[in-house]
Amino acid sequence: MTADSSSLGRRIPIGTALGRVGLALAVAFGALAAGAGYWQVFRSTDLSSSPDDAGVIAASRHVLRGVITDRDGKRLAWNVRDKNGEPFRMYASPALSGVLGYASRQWGNSGLERAWDAQLSGAASADPLYDLTRKFRTDPADPEALKTTLVLQLQQAAVKALGSNRGAVVMLDPRTGEILAMASTPTFDASAIANPATSDKAFRALQADPSLPLLPRATQGRYVPGSIFKIVTATAALSSGAITPATTFAQQPPAEKNGLLVSGFRVHDGHHLFTGSEAMNFDQAVEVSCNIYFALSGLKAGGEAMSTWAARFGFGDSIPFDLPTAASQVTGGGGSFGGGFEDDVELANAAYGQGETLVTPLQMALVASAVANGGILMTPHLVLSATGRTASTTISPTVWRQVMQPDIAGEITNAMKLAVNSAWGRIFTSGARVSGLTVAGKSGTAELDPGNKPHSWFIGFAPADNPQIAIAVIVEHGAHEVRASPLAGDLFRAWRAWANT
Amino acid sequence: MTAAPAPAPAGALRPGFRLALRPRFRRRELGLLLVVSVALIAGRISLGVTQRAAAARLAGDSGPVAIVVPTDLAILAAYVGVLFAAHLALVLAGRRTDQILLPTVGMLGGIGLLLMERLPQTLAGSLGGLARTQLVWLVLSFALITALAVAVRNDAWLRRYKYTWAAVGVGLLLLAFVFGRDVNGARLGIAIGPLTGQPSELLKVILVVFLAGYLSENRSLLVEESTRIGPFSVPPLPYLAPMVAMWAMALGIVVVQRDLGAALLFFLVFLLLLYVATARVSYVVLGVAAALIGGAILYSRLGYVQTRVDVWLNPFADAQGAGFQIVQALHAFARGGLIGTGLGAGLPTIGGRPPIPALHTDFPFAALGEELGLVGILAILGLYLVVIERGLRIAATAPDEFRAILAAGLSLVVGVQAFIIAAGNLKLVPLTGITLPFVSYGGSSLLANGLVVGLLIALSERGAELPPPGPRRGRLARLGRLVDRGAP
Repeated sequence: MTADSSSLGRRIPIGTALGRVGLALAVAFGALAAGAGYWQVFRSTDLSSSPDDAGVIAASRHVLRGVITDRDGKRLAWNVRDKNGEPFRMYASPALSGVLGYASRQWGNSGLERAWDAQLSGAASADPLYDLTRKFRTDPADPEALKTTLVLQLQQAAVKALGSNRGAVVMLDPRTGEILAMASTPTFDASAIANPATSDKAFRALQADPSLPLLPRATQGRYVPGSIFKIVTATAALSSGAITPATTFAQQPPAEKNGLLVSGFRVHDGHHLFTGSEAMNFDQAVEVSCNIYFALSGLKAGGEAMSTWAARFGFGDSIPFDLPTAASQVTGGGGSFGGGFEDDVELANAAYGQGETLVTPLQMALVASAVANGGILMTPHLVLSATGRTASTTISPTVWRQVMQPDIAGEITNAMKLAVNSAWGRIFTSGARVSGLTVAGKSGTAELDPGNKPHSWFIGFAPADNPQIAIAVIVEHGAHEVRASPLAGDLFRAWRAWANT
Repeated sequence: MTAAPAPAPAGALRPGFRLALRPRFRRRELGLLLVVSVALIAGRISLGVTQRAAAARLAGDSGPVAIVVPTDLAILAAYVGVLFAAHLALVLAGRRTDQILLPTVGMLGGIGLLLMERLPQTLAGSLGGLARTQLVWLVLSFALITALAVAVRNDAWLRRYKYTWAAVGVGLLLLAFVFGRDVNGARLGIAIGPLTGQPSELLKVILVVFLAGYLSENRSLLVEESTRIGPFSVPPLPYLAPMVAMWAMALGIVVVQRDLGAALLFFLVFLLLLYVATARVSYVVLGVAAALIGGAILYSRLGYVQTRVDVWLNPFADAQGAGFQIVQALHAFARGGLIGTGLGAGLPTIGGRPPIPALHTDFPFAALGEELGLVGILAILGLYLVVIERGLRIAATAPDEFRAILAAGLSLVVGVQAFIIAAGNLKLVPLTGITLPFVSYGGSSLLANGLVVGLLIALSERGAELPPPGPRRGRLARLGRLVDRGAP
């Protein structure tokens, strides 16, 4: 064919070289095929089902989280889609922020959205068969809709009552442990965090906010309780036999004027203007919220009994609940006086809710609930049922523990009823009384470090003879200007309005 | 030597370019084009149904999806029309040229176009979206193929001015050094005023033309006058210079332009053509050794080369950082599996974005691996092998060495480029930023590869006339004449 470069000698076989080059490239492309086979066959399952796989991530982002409703079926959280077709959460009201939390692609989940994430996103199914066959399905997620124990209108009423103050409200049914309202203020707009268009700005602003709106105060806020803690002291003192309802302390009337001296520390009181020099029994001491009576009761019962009975209410540990809870405490612990108390001064102070005592609003609502329910504390919970595609899980009320004997619960109920309704009691707990509804309760003013206005507290329940609603209200630094008792009165009325419909 | 071609009815336009109008049917090309059209249209219908089903799901409907809306097919129909128009032009030209290459690259271009239609249209492209822009470039590319296949009858303009071409190539390289524009950390593009482009794409064609001229002229000398150093035979020293220059240029591209892909492509094509011309394995071994030494020096000195290599060796170590793209590509292959997810059904988007950023330029192979599966990958690799096989066949039957080496080089430049980027996507070699010929998005790449295939088809003409011996100057030219003396 061609004349090869012949003048210099032998022919160079170009055809053979071309054949070898072709062979080399065929081998190279064979290597490509082998490489593709390795990734597409041998590593296929391993890589494509890993949590880092874009397909897995995209599926989770495209899944429609289960809708959350209140106990009457009103929608609390649902989904809308952004411009990319990816869904995000919308919430019925900022009033829900302290309990539902938020679900956000950018910032993760909090609150109920976090606690029930597996069910809401469909990663866990109510149907065991679905879990078994999940791998073989084209649409592996089975999101469950949650029906909560909450009442949207009570939740909104609670936030409205707190107004511009920081604080928290917990309302629950003492017979079942179902939480009807759990509010924390200031609230935040969880929809703005969930919406990818506003998420970053909204979340960063909330993180920087000094009023800590992202803190769920009802479950995570730890406060000095003040006089509402006297219900715990009463339970310990009555149950341990340290006092009976008829017990009076001889040193109480004289101590009213100059304070009760406990190892050099003076316990003061402010009610002798009304009560004069009468030695009060248990009921009267609750009515006027006598610090000296409860300091003496606590000292008589002893540190050990105080800690033991507080622990029966749930103090000292986190509470078994849908949301993570901070542990409440009677004492800082580690002391040698008994029950972890340092000395009799700390014990005497703790007995009327000062000292080292710290509580969460949920814990104090459970204290009221246990008294209301004849001493039996129901497990608090937020969800009534979770419904997936094919199956549904229902959460029934369960007894958490028996805190005290029914007769002691009856004694305390009686005293709390007087504290709201008697002539003396009304001076201290004014505003909690509701006409046509017997309210039992106890107010508290938690003294803080000098310069900080005290917190205002109320715990209670109603109707006193057949309790159906228990409540705890705290207004941070409410002092005597914004008191918790009238807010509780408003909320009892709101509850009655809801219960009667 | 075969008989000279029949005299053309139309007169010569100018030396080297002649237009002839004498229809000759190309049945094989027509048949293959029909197969390609059916495959592409089937692919487009499948894509359309998938896309509409996804849109309906998004809107909350779950009913059956309506059958093809005609507007879906407009872009692909235009493309298929262009393929048949190219075929018609070749029929009218009546040349006895290759009938396989046009349908093969037509299929590759069509697969690429389907991918561009499937990706988010906002990814790139100024002419109304990704697919429309790609269509425009494809049309220009196939127009270039057709024009070259019809009009180029004589290769004297290529072989005679090889040093001029070399100068143009060096000039392009200098342009890139001076006007370089950084794309993803590499100076892949140049921008002079409104004109932008990737010079390395054109440079690869010029390189092949120069090498074909240089090697065909000097191949005997390269073989005969080799010196032995130990077990290796080394090319004669005066002829070693261009090779050293080639090696230096490749390293220079890596250092200055940070374009690992182009450097690898140029050097591999150079070595393969050196082997084609000399049949000396030792030269290739020498070249590979030189490349490895150069690579080792670059690895120790250049941070970005180190990163590339480290990411290649273990991309999963930094899956969210430097290894992100390649890890995402491997996941895409894995999701595709054996038969793929189907066109339009893969590439899950997160926040409206596909998982890999440069899907349309650097990772079309991975994208197709996901949606067409291993089966589709093997088919695409097969198409490139066909291009290589046709090119080498054209080379083997070429009337002289220049044409042989030119044809081999043109097909290798496509085949090796496809290999480098596919192997990079599959983590067989370090990832580079070069395009998958005819599939990747981009004008420079499509036009340069159109140039390659157009020349290949023109070179494939059976019974082509030999070029007249031209005037030559210089010492190298005198040496070259010795080679040509044997020609009839």
